[in-house]
Amino acid sequence: MRAASWRRARPLLGTLVEIGVDSATDGADVACAIEAGFARIATLQAQLSRFEPESEIARFNAASAGARIPIHDDAAVVLDAAAVLRDASAGAFDVTLGSGIWEWRVEDARVLVKLAGGVRIDLGGIAKGHAVDCAVAALVAHGATAGWVNAGGDLRAFGALALPIELRDENHGGVRPFATLADGALATSRGVAPGGELRHASVAAPTCLWADALTKIVVASGQAEHPLLARFGARGWLHSTQALAVA
Amino acid sequence: MRLVVTTVAAAAAFAPAGAFAVDYLTFEQAAQLIFPDADRFEAREIALDATQLQALADGGVRGRSARWTARIARHGDAVLGIVVADAVIGKFELISYAVGIDSAGAIRQIEILSYRESHGGEVRLPAWRRQFVGKTAASPLRVGDDIANISGATLSCTHLAEGVRRIVAVVALARRSGGLGE
Repeated sequence: MRAASWRRARPLLGTLVEIGVDSATDGADVACAIEAGFARIATLQAQLSRFEPESEIARFNAASAGARIPIHDDAAVVLDAAAVLRDASAGAFDVTLGSGIWEWRVEDARVLVKLAGGVRIDLGGIAKGHAVDCAVAALVAHGATAGWVNAGGDLRAFGALALPIELRDENHGGVRPFATLADGALATSRGVAPGGELRHASVAAPTCLWADALTKIVVASGQAEHPLLARFGARGWLHSTQALAVA
Repeated sequence: MRLVVTTVAAAAAFAPAGAFAVDYLTFEQAAQLIFPDADRFEAREIALDATQLQALADGGVRGRSARWTARIARHGDAVLGIVVADAVIGKFELISYAVGIDSAGAIRQIEILSYRESHGGEVRLPAWRRQFVGKTAASPLRVGDDIANISGATLSCTHLAEGVRRIVAVVALARRSGGLGE
């Protein structure tokens, strides 16, 4: 049996973000840690969302060719990972959504360079995972010893707990048991592959940034055991997207 | 990283799906979280008449419900703001939430009160919804429960965002007509 469990949820990152803390420590400290987790996510949203006009990403999108946009550490971490995956997947992982796969680069982890006028970045496929990782770090920094952060299905568990995971039936609603997760991340993604096929995939990885990003590789390639997954210590699943016969 | 897959995909695909629910906060707990400086909360029902609903619609806001439960947050004689309870229905989920709005009309905080994930059919049953909407009875924070997290495709929060916009408009309208008695 777990110790006292605290759960809160708020609308952030365009989805519902849940923070849970299993803790025997004082309630006020737990509430404070959870608040810090949500605050960290709100800060990241302000920096990385293309929908926030003042974000580093929105500024890049609005800029002309040749622009050099100063970025903070979080944008640098996410964009570095995006570049690694883009290069390793021959462009299959693309944060520009086809507007200019190779037309951006990060210099010295401080400057985002726009190489062509039309290129626009959307970090929707990777930044949520990073936000989950950062919220976990904030929780731990505030004394939380075990818990989880779940941003609409991109989730990470930490400390001494085994989190039961349920998978939503995307066709009919309802959930069914899928796995238990301890000390790691699991992300789930549904998308249309280049050939038009609908795919639904999950990836488990040590951190949520990689779990989140690698689901896109599995969806795009149709390979649950794509070689890139092993490289990042990850494991993938493709779920059935067939209509289910059971009501 | 330790991941144990409890059911293989093929078996899981034909197992009947279960429902999923979690209660985060009661409305009263949320009100206190949103306005921690309040020394008391006064219960209000916000009811809009047909003319007010039409005014909402004219402003581009669909007035889906004509009645909301609210609490005025006070510290001494000063009004700190108002907390309103509402619920929205997504594709397969029901979300109840509380919105805190300060005395200047700005959103202070949104707290999710409860979440229900179900079969598509159940979501639209009025009985299911009543159970969900009226859930303000005092209950402690969940302790040691085993309800699992959901890992699914990203939930759409469009309905939630629409709901919040509607509440902000409703509160502004009720304040203009003096209906809140603040």
